[in-house]
Amino acid sequence: MPTVLVVEDYPDNAALVERVLKAKGYTVLLAADAETGLQMAKDHKPDLILLDLGLPDADGQTVVSWMRRIPELEKTPIIACTAWPEETARQMVTAYGCNGYIRKPINVAKFPDEIAAYLR
Amino acid sequence: MSAPLALPETSPETPFLFRLEPAAQYSIEQLTAAYNQTRVDYLVPMPMNAARLAEYVHHYDVDLAHSFVAEADGQMLGLGMLGVRPRATWVTRLGVLPVERRNGVGRAILQSLLDASEQLGRPQTILEVIQNNTPAHQLFLANGFKEARELVVLRRPPGPPPFPPPGEARWLERAEALALLAQRLQPESWITDTPSLVHVDNLMGFVLTLPAVGRGWLIFEHQRHGKFIVVLARLALRTEAGDPVQVGQALLAHLYRRFPDLDTHTENIDATNPHLPALHALGYVESFRRIEMCRARGAGGPAA
Repeated sequence: MPTVLVVEDYPDNAALVERVLKAKGYTVLLAADAETGLQMAKDHKPDLILLDLGLPDADGQTVVSWMRRIPELEKTPIIACTAWPEETARQMVTAYGCNGYIRKPINVAKFPDEIAAYLR
Repeated sequence: MSAPLALPETSPETPFLFRLEPAAQYSIEQLTAAYNQTRVDYLVPMPMNAARLAEYVHHYDVDLAHSFVAEADGQMLGLGMLGVRPRATWVTRLGVLPVERRNGVGRAILQSLLDASEQLGRPQTILEVIQNNTPAHQLFLANGFKEARELVVLRRPPGPPPFPPPGEARWLERAEALALLAQRLQPESWITDTPSLVHVDNLMGFVLTLPAVGRGWLIFEHQRHGKFIVVLARLALRTEAGDPVQVGQALLAHLYRRFPDLDTHTENIDATNPHLPALHALGYVESFRRIEMCRARGAGGPAA
């Protein structure tokens, strides 16, 4: 099963995402800040990255722009996770080269299908 | 010294008791944890780590002795910070844990910050509220704040300029950059004002002379986050001669010829700033807006 790197600073959100994805058989890696997320992305080259746009050490847009510099991650789906208003979220993810976004709080019932769609 | 026990408006049978303590009594790690908890459900959460909050306190002259934490039974319920400069104070990082809202905690913290501002004798208090944060906006209006202007927060993803930069840029020494910043006549927001930028280590900038009539300067921060990440931030543009849109585009083109690989975020550009069209033309995207609000000393509101 694919490996998903979840970069999320809020422990409850991270735990929920981890539980839902593990139940579907994914391998889940967790990073609680931008720097750890970047390091884990370089080291593990996950199949998909789920990225909170608000992180304590740097924001998600900056992280995407640095992840896209890593040649092995050039084509890795990076999905932003945000509570931002629809229009702002769409503009930001397009500008920064994310493959899409999932709105917070996640819809637990739909979430695995959303992730699976980005991995197809 | 502790502020008196706050007794906000709740049912008389079940008063909600909490204590306001100066933020200086807490470690930066404790303040960071409390701040992050208060923002967890915000429209734009903007969490911080301790290093960033410490930097924030330093850059923006936050006085922790005049900032407050609301606490009950050993738990931090909310906090608010006060920036202090000779001509004004600045209310910032004000927030309350989601489960503790609507108990008067935010109002009590704000009142303590306003009392501290009065004691310090500053002629006005400033703050910014994110557009559409209606509860906070209403609280500030009720406490005598008036809307001053709209401020825009912008981002630009990495990328080269869309056209070759015209004119000749001369890069500035730090002292020259600070001298130019100090010449700005328009009132700046707290975080873009010269006293904030004086605290920034990696300040860079250049002046540009265009072949036709045009001259301006751009000063910015080359900002490092941890081991890997560098971004451009805190852009200050000024047109000294010529059309601000043309000069602004030329300034930005020079910036991105030199730093095509860096992401930029810049906060609190006045919504009427004549360089805004240039920023949009160079690929900036609006993140959100803030409303700057001001309160003259002694101006009360119904709750003050």
